[in-house]
Amino acid sequence: MTAFLDARSVPNATILTPDLAIVGGGPAGISLALALADSGLSILLLESGGTSFDPKTQALYAGEETGVRYVPLDAGRLRYLGGATNHWGGWSRPLDAIDFETRKGVPYTGWPVALSDLEPYFPRAQELIEGGSWAYAKGAQGAPLPLAPGGVSTTWFQFSKTKDSPLPTHFGDRYAAALKAAPKITPMMQANVTAIRLSKDGKRVERLEVATLSGNSFMVKPRFVVLAAGAVEIARLMLASNDVMKAGVGNGNDMVGRFFADHPIPRDVATMVVFDGKLDPIYTNATPQPGNPDLIMRAALSPDAGFMRAQGVAGSLTTVENGAPLDTLGTAAVVATAQALGVDASRAKAWSLGCGMEMTPDPERRLTLSDARDALGMPRLKLHMTISDDDFAHFRLTLAELGRQLLAAKTGMIRLSYDSRAQWLAAMDWGNHHMGTTRMSADPKSGVVDANSMVHGIGNLFVAGSSVFTTYGSSNPTLNLVALTLKLGDHLKKVTA
Amino acid sequence: MNRRNVMAGMGAALLALGAGVWRFGMKHYPDTPYDDLLDQVQDREAAATLGETTRETAPGLAARLRAAKPLAVQAAADAGAGRTVEISGWVVPKSVADYAALARLNRPL
Repeated sequence: MTAFLDARSVPNATILTPDLAIVGGGPAGISLALALADSGLSILLLESGGTSFDPKTQALYAGEETGVRYVPLDAGRLRYLGGATNHWGGWSRPLDAIDFETRKGVPYTGWPVALSDLEPYFPRAQELIEGGSWAYAKGAQGAPLPLAPGGVSTTWFQFSKTKDSPLPTHFGDRYAAALKAAPKITPMMQANVTAIRLSKDGKRVERLEVATLSGNSFMVKPRFVVLAAGAVEIARLMLASNDVMKAGVGNGNDMVGRFFADHPIPRDVATMVVFDGKLDPIYTNATPQPGNPDLIMRAALSPDAGFMRAQGVAGSLTTVENGAPLDTLGTAAVVATAQALGVDASRAKAWSLGCGMEMTPDPERRLTLSDARDALGMPRLKLHMTISDDDFAHFRLTLAELGRQLLAAKTGMIRLSYDSRAQWLAAMDWGNHHMGTTRMSADPKSGVVDANSMVHGIGNLFVAGSSVFTTYGSSNPTLNLVALTLKLGDHLKKVTA
Repeated sequence: MNRRNVMAGMGAALLALGAGVWRFGMKHYPDTPYDDLLDQVQDREAAATLGETTRETAPGLAARLRAAKPLAVQAAADAGAGRTVEISGWVVPKSVADYAALARLNRPL
């Protein structure tokens, strides 16, 4: 068993020479290390933090922000082993096929891979997140909300859950023993990679510079490098490593840090009334399935691919939240509408709706380096956050379609809460699902990594995680980024052989 | 008490019950020129509350509604065909909004 090493005990000027250096010990880094544990490669897993939260390490994340109000850069992520899984809610769902398509009228869409390329990796990814048996397509037992044919239908979340615990799987805690037990994996804590140094021709990584908050520094000279530090920190490291490529590693086309994205989750986006007051609790609660307590599911409502193409709307997942009161107008709307439709609404109930929205890609929503520096001397980041009126308008179209389908089925009706940008922004919260800053593309001019997650033009540098998402879908990213990482693992087995 | 008295008493009781139901169990509205339409609306007060100010006059709106199918048929057809409108965010069939507007125009002062 290999114990966790502490970078603070590595002497200055040491040079480590693993086959593979993985930068970041979050879900991507841990999944990749475990996937390659038996590959014969010697793997150094470099984690900036330790095995628990430390304010001084967390402070390395701080940065500046302009534009739309957003979560502070040191608040929406966690810098210790396990990364963001230390605070995730366990919501899981695979991306949809349309998420990978080039969508007509939606610029910057289209991955160089398809959902079918990821599908072989979903079973293992589902095991790693401990999401229970694969039931996303089949759905759960229960009574689906009756909807007339149309653009919106019921879809399913599953939930990560650590065995014998109510908590989602925290990758650091859950897989620490497996990492220690793997003879070829060396997990190293407190190890901050501060620079990627390229060969003079810029085509290979020669070494990584590593520093600790205690003041020592050393080098890693691996054959291959995978950046798995999250969509914000990967961009920072690439932009800050600008000695050979003056705009930063892999940034010859000014694409690193652009297209930053998250899932907006505005609150109380609508009120949904069900005329007979009957709604299966699986719409409002994560529900263990009968006879299968490890399979936890919750229903949501999402636009179908046909509706998305026809209307040009982005993805979204609408959830039913809490019971909601009806005011005088709401009561009048329900009474008048139900009577017109010939439906008894004497037992009608109302719920508020929440959602996770997909943002349309925007190159101006980006990370750049600021003039400030952190405790290790690295430039801090500046995020310029945007969200377009179209994103709100598109989601509103989806909600209105849901309302139409409820009416046509004589099931219920809907009230849309917001119709101005100010109202949407006032209700705004964010998923802290950082994506898109090293997007995947076939053409180096439109992205940072290729279909195998290799940084364009740098043969031994790869990226793992949701930073490579070209478009974002509305599904929570963890299951999908783990599947993509496992795909990268298979590719690395080939190229390192 | 003979049979005639019993029958008379029962008749009186039924009349009183009917009057009570009519008085307290059913809603009554002042006559309007549009009762052929508004009689399709069971709760005119709710409809009037929902109804929005419209540029259409009551006669013009009524003429349009008389040319269309009855509310019960038209509302379901509107929902199925996506002919919906928003009233303060509430998504309702267009015909429901129209009848609500007519009820508002004819709401007793």
